[in-house]
Amino acid sequence: MRLTHIVNEGFQSLGANKIRTFFMMAGTIVGIAALTVIMAMGKGTEEKVMERVNNFGVRVIMVTVGGGKGHSPPQEGVTTLRLEDAAAIRELVGGETEIVSPGLMRRAMPVKAGGSQTQAVIHGIEPDWHDAWDWHNRDGDPISAEDTATMARVCVLGKTVRETLFGETDPTGSYIQIGEVRFMVKGVLESKGTSPMGTDFDNRVLVPLTTAMRRLFNQDHISYVRVKLSDPAQLEAIGERIRALLHERHRIRPPEEDDFAIVTASDIAKTARGISGTLSILLVALAGISLVVGGIVLMNILLISVSERTREIGLRRALGATQGDIFVQFLAESLAITLLGMVLGCLIGWGASTVLGKLLKTPMLISWEPFVLAIVFSLLVGLFFGIQPARRAARLKPVEALQ
Amino acid sequence: MIEVIDLEKTFSNGAVATRVLKGVSFGIAEGEYVSIMGASGTGKSTLMNILGCLDRPTEGIYRLNGIEVKDLEDKDLSRLRNRQIGFVFQQFHLLGRSSALKNVMLPLIYADDYPEDAEQRATQMLQSVGLADRIHFRPHELSGGQQQRVAIARALVTHPSIILADEPTGNLDRKSGLEVLAIFKELNRQGHTIIMVTHDEATAEHADRIIQLKDGSISADRKVAEPRNAANELEALKSGEGDQ
Repeated sequence: MRLTHIVNEGFQSLGANKIRTFFMMAGTIVGIAALTVIMAMGKGTEEKVMERVNNFGVRVIMVTVGGGKGHSPPQEGVTTLRLEDAAAIRELVGGETEIVSPGLMRRAMPVKAGGSQTQAVIHGIEPDWHDAWDWHNRDGDPISAEDTATMARVCVLGKTVRETLFGETDPTGSYIQIGEVRFMVKGVLESKGTSPMGTDFDNRVLVPLTTAMRRLFNQDHISYVRVKLSDPAQLEAIGERIRALLHERHRIRPPEEDDFAIVTASDIAKTARGISGTLSILLVALAGISLVVGGIVLMNILLISVSERTREIGLRRALGATQGDIFVQFLAESLAITLLGMVLGCLIGWGASTVLGKLLKTPMLISWEPFVLAIVFSLLVGLFFGIQPARRAARLKPVEALQ
Repeated sequence: MIEVIDLEKTFSNGAVATRVLKGVSFGIAEGEYVSIMGASGTGKSTLMNILGCLDRPTEGIYRLNGIEVKDLEDKDLSRLRNRQIGFVFQQFHLLGRSSALKNVMLPLIYADDYPEDAEQRATQMLQSVGLADRIHFRPHELSGGQQQRVAIARALVTHPSIILADEPTGNLDRKSGLEVLAIFKELNRQGHTIIMVTHDEATAEHADRIIQLKDGSISADRKVAEPRNAANELEALKSGEGDQ
């Protein structure tokens, strides 16, 4: 076909001046590579966000003692959150299927067994803790309602504590000492590993909440109430009602600062998405700029090339090329440059994503979207910045071009 | 085949209008070998551009095979050039990065239908100008005379009705020039119509007829009583070299 041959003429000219061709491609390469990295980074971040939301609990509202914004751990030393608050929240939430689980936590408590000693986080819990956190025993029995009722001196160990104190032997039925109090080990939790921040989730000991409050720490306040709803759509509404309830119970009048914090799964998603969203937009803008700048460079070099090749253009016209033929040839050249640049950009972006992901320990997720975007963008750049040089080439008068 | 009646061409540069052709009339029949001769500035290049459909006349009529050129669109002019006219330029105008073969094939890509046997045709043309063994050479690997012969092959590949040569020997030494002129003579003998633009009387006399331009008008239009024979002159030149 006629068009094929003319397009091919455009492609052929790329090999003529390789250094120049490279410069014309540079902007596209950088832009597309940046785009690929950005998209991989954005996708990776989003993935991480979803992981964090999932870790937090998709249907969960955390009420923690102590003010402040965001998802902060309970502040020790603030004593205003009580079991009565938890009861009021339970009443507010209602429903058989909803879980309202109050808990108490204390960090860095000395824990001993036999000759071994370690420091662990002590959690005072109620039996529905396991369901509230989706975290169950691997061995032995969980903390029971009877244990809570009788303030039993029993405990369930996290994997790390078990390994430190008992090695490979089965700890069930053995005794450990937390502070000055002896506890019988009922079971061992499943392992949850380490958080991205480096916190060892398995370095914990669960005891009945009542036991922790009365026998261990002698305190009336708790650290948090974890609410798990059956319907995630209700998260924000219920969260706000809990806030209002606690304002009333604690006699807080906004703008007075809260002595508690409420964080829902949607809050986590929102902040995390917000960050990845703005980041993506910012970086996409960056890629856009390099594509535009690259396009301008491309256009200018093409314009130079057109004026250098007037004789060639004149000759082609004399041999029968129409204005349209010349236009198509130069546009094809421009498109070939950006498409080739795109392929290189994608490859470099792909490589850079992998390397950067490892170097910066940032999650990177390579997906098909950036490649589709890359094709679209490079075509757009090639078309947009190729039109002007192609038009100039096409408009050269054959008589003048041949002189 | 070619009818030129009262042809005028005026170039305007701002307020200054220059009349380069001031009413030129002649006809060229099929199979003629014509030189258009004149010193520089007499309008012969302008006339050549118009005859080659690279430019349009300001006034007057130019008919090529019965087609009135003046009112044609760019697309039709391009098609006319592609089909009817084979150009040979003083500077050869070959694409430097393409082989002789590709250069000869170039006009074919602008044809309405790209011929299946394009490569064969181009090879044949190169053979006919004596370059069978130079098919894959690039222009810079060829001598000036050889480059001009590639250009002639290129002009012939579309089977045009006219060969339009603009100072075809201007950049060549005497021997290469004679080789080119010998090819023209042979092409003319085969029935090709050839129009050669030149400022050199000795070159012009290889044609059968000379149209002499002076100051934008035809000052003479005459038959050459005894056209020079390039092939014979070439022989003489070679034997002369041999004697020395």
